[in-house]
Amino acid sequence: MRRLFRWSFLAAACGFTVTTFATPLRYAEEQAPGIINPLFTTTMVEARVSELLFDGLYTDNRDLATTPALASNADVAEDGLSITITLRDDVFWHDGTAIQADDVAFTIEAMKNPKTLSTEAGRVEWIKDVEVLSAKQLKMTFVDVQHHPQDKLNFKILPKSQFDSSLVSRSHSFRTRPTGTGPYRLSSFNDDNSVTFRANDDHHAKVGISELVLREVADKSYQAKLIQYESLEALVRVMPQDIAELSRSRKIELYPYQTNSWWFMGFNQKDPRFKDVRVRQALSQMVDIENLLAPIGTGEVLSGPYVKSSPFYNHDVRPWGQDNYAAATLLEDAGYSKVDGVWSKGGKALSFTLTFHQNLETSQKVVINLQSQLRAQGVDVQIEALQEAEWKARIWRKREFDAVLSQWSFDRNEDIYAQFHSKGERNFGAYNNPEVDKLLDEARTAADPYEKKHALRKVHKIVRDDAPMVFLWTLDSYAAVSTRVRRVLIHPFYFFTYVGEWQMK
Amino acid sequence: MANEVNQRGQAGIALFLLLLRPLLTFVATLAGASFVASALLYFSPGNAADVVASDPATYAGLVDKWGLDDSLFSQYTTFVANALQGDFGSSLVTSPGEPVFEVIQSRAPRTILLVAGAIFLSFGLSLSLAFWTAGKKTNLSAWRTWPVGMTRRFVQIISILPLFLAAYICMYSIDAAIYNQSVAQGLTPPSWFPLLLNTSGTKTALAIGVLAISSCSLTEIHTSCENELSRIRESDFVDAARARGDRAWTHILAVLIPTLTTLISSRVSFFLGGTVIVEEVLHINGVGRLFWDACLARDFPLVLGITALAATIVCSARLLGDLIRIWTDPRQRGDA
Repeated sequence: MRRLFRWSFLAAACGFTVTTFATPLRYAEEQAPGIINPLFTTTMVEARVSELLFDGLYTDNRDLATTPALASNADVAEDGLSITITLRDDVFWHDGTAIQADDVAFTIEAMKNPKTLSTEAGRVEWIKDVEVLSAKQLKMTFVDVQHHPQDKLNFKILPKSQFDSSLVSRSHSFRTRPTGTGPYRLSSFNDDNSVTFRANDDHHAKVGISELVLREVADKSYQAKLIQYESLEALVRVMPQDIAELSRSRKIELYPYQTNSWWFMGFNQKDPRFKDVRVRQALSQMVDIENLLAPIGTGEVLSGPYVKSSPFYNHDVRPWGQDNYAAATLLEDAGYSKVDGVWSKGGKALSFTLTFHQNLETSQKVVINLQSQLRAQGVDVQIEALQEAEWKARIWRKREFDAVLSQWSFDRNEDIYAQFHSKGERNFGAYNNPEVDKLLDEARTAADPYEKKHALRKVHKIVRDDAPMVFLWTLDSYAAVSTRVRRVLIHPFYFFTYVGEWQMK
Repeated sequence: MANEVNQRGQAGIALFLLLLRPLLTFVATLAGASFVASALLYFSPGNAADVVASDPATYAGLVDKWGLDDSLFSQYTTFVANALQGDFGSSLVTSPGEPVFEVIQSRAPRTILLVAGAIFLSFGLSLSLAFWTAGKKTNLSAWRTWPVGMTRRFVQIISILPLFLAAYICMYSIDAAIYNQSVAQGLTPPSWFPLLLNTSGTKTALAIGVLAISSCSLTEIHTSCENELSRIRESDFVDAARARGDRAWTHILAVLIPTLTTLISSRVSFFLGGTVIVEEVLHINGVGRLFWDACLARDFPLVLGITALAATIVCSARLLGDLIRIWTDPRQRGDA
C-alpha cells in the first residue's frame, strides 16, 4: 500500500496522467520542410508533404498504374500530339472554391516560366501549350508525340487565385499558407518545428485520420525509439539496424515496400584512368558486393540500372561478381602492373578518391569496406564525405571527382535518360555510348510498350558491360507503422499517396 | 566658479576618451565579425543555389537573382549598406523570403533564456563557492581542508567533462525510464515526454546547466572570483569595516562588482557560441541551431544577420560592462 502510494505520488509529481486523448498520426522527418510549394520541391520531405496537400491530374492506383485524380476523363489525339482533359466536378480547393481548368493552365505556365526558376520545370518541358476550352476542360499540345501522356501528368496542381502571375517566387507567402485539393490542409507550424495537418472535410474521398503531425527528429536512431515509446505512429523508413528490434514489438507493424532506388559506385570518365573500360571492368570485378551489403541491411544485388522488379531489368544479364583473376588480367591488358602489391602504370599507382554524401544512410560503413576490399586488391582508395552544398557544387555542377558512392531514386517511369544519355543532365560521370543514346531516344518515343521494354533491356546489357559505374544493390525498405493504424498502403516513392484510406483505432 | 566649470569640462573629456575606445572596439568588432563571416561563406564550397537547384538553368537563374557571383567586396558592401538602413535582407533557403530579423526574432526567446540562465547559474554557483573557498589553503595532512580542495578539483573536472554527450545520454535514459514506468503503471506519460523531442521547462533547465558548465566558465569564474575575494578580504578597508562592526561582505561585494561585470561581459561570447552546440545536441529550436542550419544551407543573409546580431550583443555587453565599471569604480573615473 505504501509502495503504491509512493508510486502514485511520484507519478503525479512527474506529471503522469490517467486521462487518454485521441492522438493524431505523428510521423518523423529528419528536417521540417523549408518550403511548401510543389513548384519548388527539392527534398523527399517536401514531396511527401505535397502528397498530403495537393493532387495531380493523375495519380497511381494500388497496382501503381496511372489513374485519374483531378481529371475525370481524357482524350488523347490520334496523332499523339495533344490531349483534352475534363476535370472532376466534385473537387474543391481548401478555401472552398471549385477547381478550374485555369488552375491547371496556370500551374503549367508557372512551371515553364523561366523566371519562376521552378525545380520541377523538367516535368512539363514536353508540354508545348495549354488552351483552356471551358471552366472544366483544357487541351494540352505536346512538343513531340506522346503515347500515354497521362503517365507524366502527376505533378501537383496549384490554385491560380493565390498568385498574381505565372512568375512565382520561392518566397511567395503560399509557401507557409498552401492551399491545395489534397486530403489534408495545413493547420499550423509549431514551436518545436513540427507541422500539423488536418483532414480536408471537403475532399472528394473520405479521409480516415483526422489529424497528421510531422515531427522533426534529426537523429534517425532516435526515431525508432520514439515509435517504440508510442510518441510516433509512423516512420517512413526504418534504419536496417532497427528492423530486428521493431519487428519484435507487438505495437508496431513493419511494411516492406519496393523503392525504385539503387546504389552505385560511379567513375568520372573524364579522368584518363577511368576512360579505359578495362579499368572500370576490373574495378567492378574486385568488389565483393554481397559482403558490402551484409552490414547495412538486406537487398538485391543488381547487374544494371533498374531494380529487379522493373519491367526494364534484363534478367539475362548477370552482375559482374568478384573475380580477382579476371580483374588482374584486365588491368594488365590496360598497361598496369603490380609493384609491391600495388597496381601501377608509368610509375603511378592506381589510386583514387571515393566521395560520398554525408547524409546517405549507412554509407560510411560501405565506403570503409569498399576501401578495404580495393586496398587488399592493390588499389589505393581515399575516402571523402561531403555535405549537401559541397556535394552539389563539386559533383553535380563542377563534376570534380574521381569516383562517387551514391544512390539514384526514380519514380514509376524509371527514366534513366538523365543519368546515361550523353546529353543527360545528371550524367555526372560523362558516360558516352552512341548506341545507348540511340536506344534511350527510341524508348522515349516508343509507341509500343514492348518496344520500349526491348530497347531499355538492351541499354541494361550495354551499360553493364561498359561499367560506367559498379551497380551495387537495391535495399529492402520498411516503413514502421503503429498497429493502431489500419488499412495502411504505402506508395514506394511518395509514401502518402493512399493516406486518405488509412484509419486509426 | 570658472575653475569648477573647467574641471567639469576636463572630466567630460576624460569620460569621452574613456568611452571612445570601447565604442571604436564596438564598431571594429562588428565590421570584423561580419566581414570574416562573409569571407568564410564566400570561400566555402557550394552556395545557396547549389542547395536548392537541381538543374543548371535553375542554378544559373538563382545565382543571378541572389547575386551569388558578385565579388566578396561587392556582396559585403551591399550587405553593410543595407544593414545601415536597417535591412538585413531575407532568408534564401531556411525560410525563403522571410526577413532575417523576423526569422531570428521567432527563435530568439529560447536562446536569450539559455544565455541569461547560463550566466545566472554559472556566476551564482561560482561566486557562492568562491565565497566559501577563497583564501583557504588546503593541506593533504589536514583532513578538515579536504572539502575545500575537493570542491576546487570538482569545479575543474566538471568544466572539462563532455557534458553535451552526458546530457544527451541522460535525456535518452530519462525517456526510456518514463516510458517503462508509464507502461508498468498503466499511465499516460507526462506532457513533456519525450524529453528529447518536446519543448519543456525540464529540458530548458538541463540545457542551461549544460551551457553554464560546459563553456568552461565555472572554473574560470570561480578562480577569478576566488583570487579577487582573497585580495579584497586582505584589504585595509575590510579590516577597518570589521573594526567598526560593519558587515564586511557588503563592502566586499561593492568592490567585487567591477570585476564581476568584466567577467560577465567577457563570458557572453562563450555562452552565445555554446548555444550552437547545446541547441543542436538537445534539439532546441533557438538561434544557435538556426545558425548551424543556415551555415549548412549557405543561407548567407541569415548567417550574416545572426553574426551581426551576436557581435552586437557581445560588444554591447562589453560596453555595458565598461560603463558599469566606470560608474562603480571611482578610480576608473579618475575621482580617486
